[in-house]
Amino acid sequence: MSIPLVPNLLRAHLAELAAEDKRHDGRGQFQGRDVELEINCLPRAEGSARVRMGDTIVLAGVKFQIMTPYPDRPNEGGLMCSAEVRPVAGRNWEAGPPSAESIELGRVVDRGIRESGCINTEDLCIIPGEKAWQVILDVFAVSDDGNLFDAFGLAAIAALRSATVPAERFEVGEDMPLDVSKTPIMCSYHKVGGRFVYDADKREELGGDERIHITLGDDDHVHSLQKGLKGIFTAAEFAEINEQARSRCAELRDLVNNALEGE
Amino acid sequence: MGGYGDVQCIDENGIRLDGRTKDEVRPVSIETGVVPVADGSARIRWGLNDCIAAVYGPMEAHPRKIQRQDRAVLDVRYNMAPFSTTDRIRPGFNRRSREISKVTAEALESVVLTELYPRSKIRVEIEIICAEAGTRCAGITAASVALAHAGIPMTDMVVSVASGKVHDIVVCDLNKEEDNYGEADLPMGILPNTGELVFLQMDGDLSPEQFQEAWDYNMEAAQVIHKEMVRALKGGDE
Repeated sequence: MSIPLVPNLLRAHLAELAAEDKRHDGRGQFQGRDVELEINCLPRAEGSARVRMGDTIVLAGVKFQIMTPYPDRPNEGGLMCSAEVRPVAGRNWEAGPPSAESIELGRVVDRGIRESGCINTEDLCIIPGEKAWQVILDVFAVSDDGNLFDAFGLAAIAALRSATVPAERFEVGEDMPLDVSKTPIMCSYHKVGGRFVYDADKREELGGDERIHITLGDDDHVHSLQKGLKGIFTAAEFAEINEQARSRCAELRDLVNNALEGE
Repeated sequence: MGGYGDVQCIDENGIRLDGRTKDEVRPVSIETGVVPVADGSARIRWGLNDCIAAVYGPMEAHPRKIQRQDRAVLDVRYNMAPFSTTDRIRPGFNRRSREISKVTAEALESVVLTELYPRSKIRVEIEIICAEAGTRCAGITAASVALAHAGIPMTDMVVSVASGKVHDIVVCDLNKEEDNYGEADLPMGILPNTGELVFLQMDGDLSPEQFQEAWDYNMEAAQVIHKEMVRALKGGDE
């Protein structure tokens, strides 16, 4: 992604607002944008979700392939998460090989899901040493108005939880729901005007400093952390956003559960 | 194009697998503004096809070597999302999407008044979210609506549609089975106000009479789809 030159004026403006405990769109410091979640919206995918947070819109789709298990793990299938931010999603995203930013996005989302252990790779084995399921989760940005990380994370887990293993199409048994035992949720905080805010939009990303991504599982266990971009933060700052993340993750987890119950 | 296969695409009463008669278009619906951060955007749902097009620009063209002194360049990309088909598509370079991007750009360059924006670039991004058949046609049609939504001056919009032949019967607007098992595919890009063409491809086998019939189906279908394009842009009833 190419970062446009502007932000000095923008930074100054955001800092003035922060000093008065305000954000440029009127939200509170830890207030997120409205979230819409729709599941099973992609007819060709075995599980799917669409997330909208303000003007940020993303899709996630789950596909299955049959793989040969790795020799050192003959009883396990695989999980692969790939994030793509194509130039459709915004004027600063460029065509070509994946940028460092989009690779970081994919890897942070992947870690949150993988490390939570929500998918037991041994459940994906069909015939030990011969056949296993490879679950491929693709997240795709339609419109980037900031905080793709959280939108990707939410769409990813919702798509996985809605997925059906297409065993009949591959002639290896009956279709069944993919077993997903946990619901890891990511919350991201950006330093804007000297303080952390939740769910930064594009302008706050451009005029801000470092960001911290926290993925919490059920029971508030932490499964992945990532600090991105240049900046210094204190232990007290981290403690505050970690506390905030707990309540927000719980709310978003309820949103996922409700969407799945509505199916 | 394979043979008849073992799939019967049309029954004895002339009804196709999706319930259409041979001269009917699949249901088409279009909405604009689906990519809020873009300068113009459109989504077309056409049968099971689901396609998003976004337009950015006119903007400065860089690197400078791609600039044209007398006109804007159209930078068009057609891409299928990994989850858009039954078998996952690996992201990355692909000869098919390169070719479709090229012919789409050339079709759109024929109508956009590029000479109004010298040395600039207009980006057109076409993403297939769900594919049935005729995704290139859906892409060109969606891109036309997105360009109009972005306020880019054009002599006309391009309506693209593909008719073809299955079991030796000419049918309008091929669906997936007809595309897979049929004997011919004739995609065209039509200017609905004049009946002129800016895009034409064909593969398969058509007699001169069948070719004319498929051609006429495309012309008629273009008028149906054009109505929906105008409705999406101007609002109003279905």
